[in-house]
Amino acid sequence: MAESKLTEERIIADIVDRYENDEGMLIPMMQDLQAECGYLPLDQLHRLAARLDVPLSRLYAVATFYSSFRLAPKGLHEVTLCVGTVCYLKGSGAISEALRKEFQVEASGTTPDGLFSFHPVNCVGACAVAPVMIVDGKYYNGITLDSARDILRGLSPEEAPAESEAQK
Amino acid sequence: MTVVGMERLSTTADLERLREDLRKRRDPAAKCVRVCIGPGCVAKGAMRLHELFTEAVRQTGADVAIEAKGVGCHGLCERGPLVIVHPGNIFYQRVEEPDVAEIFRETVLGGRVVERLLYEDPATGERARTADGIPFYKAQQRIALAHCGVIDPASLEDYIAAGGYSALAKALTTMTPEQVLQEVERSGLRGRGGGGFPTGRKWRSCRNAAGEPKYVICNGDEGDPGAFMDRVVMEGDPHAVLEGMVIGAYAIGSSQGYIYVRNEYPLSVDRLKGAIGQARELGLLGEDILGTGFSFDIRINRGGGAFVCGESTALMASLEGRPGEPRAKYVHTVEHGLHDKPTNLNNVETWANVPAIINHGAKWFASIGTEKSTGTKVFSLVGDVVNTGLVEVPMGITLRRIIEAIGGGVQGGKAFKAVQTGGPSGGCIPAEHLDAQVDFDQLTKLGSMMGSGGMIVMDEDTCMVNVARYFTNFLRDESCGKCTPCREGLAQMLSILDRITHGEGEVGDVERLQAMAVLLEGTAMCALGKTAANPALSTIRYFRDEYDAHILEKRCPAKECRGLFRYAIDAEACKACGLCKKHCPVDAISGEKKVPHVIDQEKCTLCGTCFEKCPFDAVLKV
Amino acid sequence: MPTVTIDGVKVEVEAGATILDAARKAGLWIPTLCYHPAVSPPATCRVCMVELDRGDWKQLVTACNYPVRRDITVSVSSEQAVRARAGVMQLLLARAPENEALKAMARRMGVEGTPYPTVTVSQRDCILCGLCTAVCEEVLGCAAIGFSGRGQDRAVSPPFRQPSEDCIACGACAAVCPVGTIQIRIHEEEGEIEISPFKARAKLLTCEVCGERVVSLPVSEEALKRAKIDWEEFRRLARLCPKCRRRGAAARLAKSSSAT
Repeated sequence: MAESKLTEERIIADIVDRYENDEGMLIPMMQDLQAECGYLPLDQLHRLAARLDVPLSRLYAVATFYSSFRLAPKGLHEVTLCVGTVCYLKGSGAISEALRKEFQVEASGTTPDGLFSFHPVNCVGACAVAPVMIVDGKYYNGITLDSARDILRGLSPEEAPAESEAQK
Repeated sequence: MTVVGMERLSTTADLERLREDLRKRRDPAAKCVRVCIGPGCVAKGAMRLHELFTEAVRQTGADVAIEAKGVGCHGLCERGPLVIVHPGNIFYQRVEEPDVAEIFRETVLGGRVVERLLYEDPATGERARTADGIPFYKAQQRIALAHCGVIDPASLEDYIAAGGYSALAKALTTMTPEQVLQEVERSGLRGRGGGGFPTGRKWRSCRNAAGEPKYVICNGDEGDPGAFMDRVVMEGDPHAVLEGMVIGAYAIGSSQGYIYVRNEYPLSVDRLKGAIGQARELGLLGEDILGTGFSFDIRINRGGGAFVCGESTALMASLEGRPGEPRAKYVHTVEHGLHDKPTNLNNVETWANVPAIINHGAKWFASIGTEKSTGTKVFSLVGDVVNTGLVEVPMGITLRRIIEAIGGGVQGGKAFKAVQTGGPSGGCIPAEHLDAQVDFDQLTKLGSMMGSGGMIVMDEDTCMVNVARYFTNFLRDESCGKCTPCREGLAQMLSILDRITHGEGEVGDVERLQAMAVLLEGTAMCALGKTAANPALSTIRYFRDEYDAHILEKRCPAKECRGLFRYAIDAEACKACGLCKKHCPVDAISGEKKVPHVIDQEKCTLCGTCFEKCPFDAVLKV
Repeated sequence: MPTVTIDGVKVEVEAGATILDAARKAGLWIPTLCYHPAVSPPATCRVCMVELDRGDWKQLVTACNYPVRRDITVSVSSEQAVRARAGVMQLLLARAPENEALKAMARRMGVEGTPYPTVTVSQRDCILCGLCTAVCEEVLGCAAIGFSGRGQDRAVSPPFRQPSEDCIACGACAAVCPVGTIQIRIHEEEGEIEISPFKARAKLLTCEVCGERVVSLPVSEEALKRAKIDWEEFRRLARLCPKCRRRGAAARLAKSSSAT
């Protein structure tokens, strides 16, 4: 236990050093923290606030304002569904609703079995091949409800694949 | 990717020598396979094609001068993956993995064309060997996208060989900051992010503002859904953005710049990071650039996932480590911006135009486009159009030319209904205005705006009320929530539009929406709130009949809103397979074997299951 | 010094003063909710909209933070401005229809009710004006509460909705809240003060002389910390209620004057 606490402190120390203690870089710091831990653990945020001498309320404000931050662990797989205008007009809104219902997952949430986290996002910039779904960094274009369902049902309950270049 | 074998450049003479050297070493007849790795092509598997071509090159003997490179977006995303083979610039489209071997053998090594992979004009049936022969490219003029699709964005050598950083050298060594300012002012360049503010004037205000240090920012937070212009520039030609920023910083008197890239574009961040590293190594960025004594460095910040951070004051708040909440702009950011210091913020595309202006002159730039909207604009032409993709055209071109001549018209032979421009702050323009000129002012007169360049084509099956509902919901979700009118007003508008699209519209709803538009425009704190009612307003203006049908008749003319249209079975198309009957949850369908089935309209709950299940498309929306 | 002509009345103000300052000088009432002299104006409520004459058009601006830098002409009572303020108030009333403070202000503005249904959920009528968070951060330097979420889900709370470690239970947030969302509660039996709804609780200090409840213990400790004075006298004074403090001061003054 003491060992892991030390590691946790080291993670924060490294991150703060990386950005030269510049509180203006709070968002990149929190992004690095989330990349390291998979989400933003409460105790780590406490440590970060203390190191930077920034009120905890500011970190909480930032963590809850921006869509990319998670305060709870994510699923084994990361599923992003674009619901930007073009994808939406091509049916991704309805697909999003149906998938959320079927897999019992909320937007930016994780399925009850922890298999995947689901993120409907407002445009990933691949509008020419809408609708687009990204699973663990891999793009699927021109999806339908059936094809999306198949992809998700086929997700492995074992460890997630290593993060692809696009996701890093 | 580090620059191999190139030393730091201490003077412009060094740079020119390097350029000369690189050009000499490049054989114009050398074989090259350019694989498009723009967003659309990547989504269709282009990275794998790139791998395969690279492997094929590797396996070829060293006696053949050949290379395979990944290049930026060519714009014709609909026909991707795209592969261009040189010499000859043979333009292959819809390339798949099994085609790689054939292309390599026939075209790359053998100099023969693979006909079936060439672009075929759907109207004439003619095949085009090169991009020049494709109608999509005829009306285009690529300035911001000049290098995209030609150079390897990860190669500084490619950029320099193509003329890159000559503008920087020219500006820093032969022009004073004042001369640079005047050149940009005279060019008439206006912000390409949507605001359209004269760039030279903004630079000058920042230069004149009191306070040190001054900051220069590149807004890469491209959040308009349907827009991917900036992504393509950042990923396809990152050095152009850097070069533009150095020139701007020189003119303004800034030594620190930021590029703010939205979180959803990790590849853009990577490419820019790589480019910054390369530029620094060569002395084109950082301390004492090219030995001129001028120092300027750039840092990249990623957004956290918030559309509102495309707004300049919200972006700056984000750069200060705070939530991206806009603030009042009674005091301009050029005077008090980032950390309360004078700050000049410009969009990616704006920066990418600067090197060309310095190289070719203000007069040249001003000769393109219209009097008040000079130069070109990049548009993402998407939606129900045949040639979806990215286009760059001179300002002043008509909507019709973009959509029909370049875009190839509406997909699937359907009728054109509207084109949505300007993202969530913009509006929908109907067929009667297709001859409107696209520039900063004309579209605004029609109730929309050019915005950052998103152009979404909508066909006859699109419910315009639902389009308004979609954008209103988007803005409600992305509103920072700080000010009353935006936060509460958008919730009110969504509630009204939800009712209308669910058959619960009331007389007076249209007027309520219009009144809210006035309130938002007058009292909201930032542009997001002020323009939030535009989608509703413009659809009311041109498609009032649809609103009336929804509200008065509880009917959706486009047959999109569930419950507001009926289903009926086409007796001729029906094969009496019984699938619809089997799946109907309320047993509303009757019919025996070999007898066309019929839907009992009284029982039908309009769930749409039969429509989805019918394998013969015999269930119609009526 | 620039001149502001506001509803026809001319007043001179310092450069950088706001239109609201000018209005007050001119004796004109402009409704405000999120404005408080102790903090920089959040300008979030938008109920103080006035019309600025720009020559070829009239711009609506917020009076509370528009800086006057040259001679300007402002209209508080133009139709456009009145309608704008009314519209904003109506949106607020839809959010918190039972709130007495809002209703009173609406009456004063001549706004009768709201045509809008309630579509957003407020935390006990909170209008998200930001005064509480501003005073906690700017004046007290504690930042014990802050905003969280975005858009409709925006809310004021201590971090992670847990009682804040940075709160000193001073009650400044309650003092500036324009709609009474934040309340101070005294728990007699436990001798504690609670700032509701932030779940902040602290022991109440009692007067060393008379036993009257004085102030929250953390406030007293903060004051001692910040005052950076080591005087025993100050320590003792900080633990007295105002009445006993005054009595003590009077006694000392009487002693010193009789000594002369």
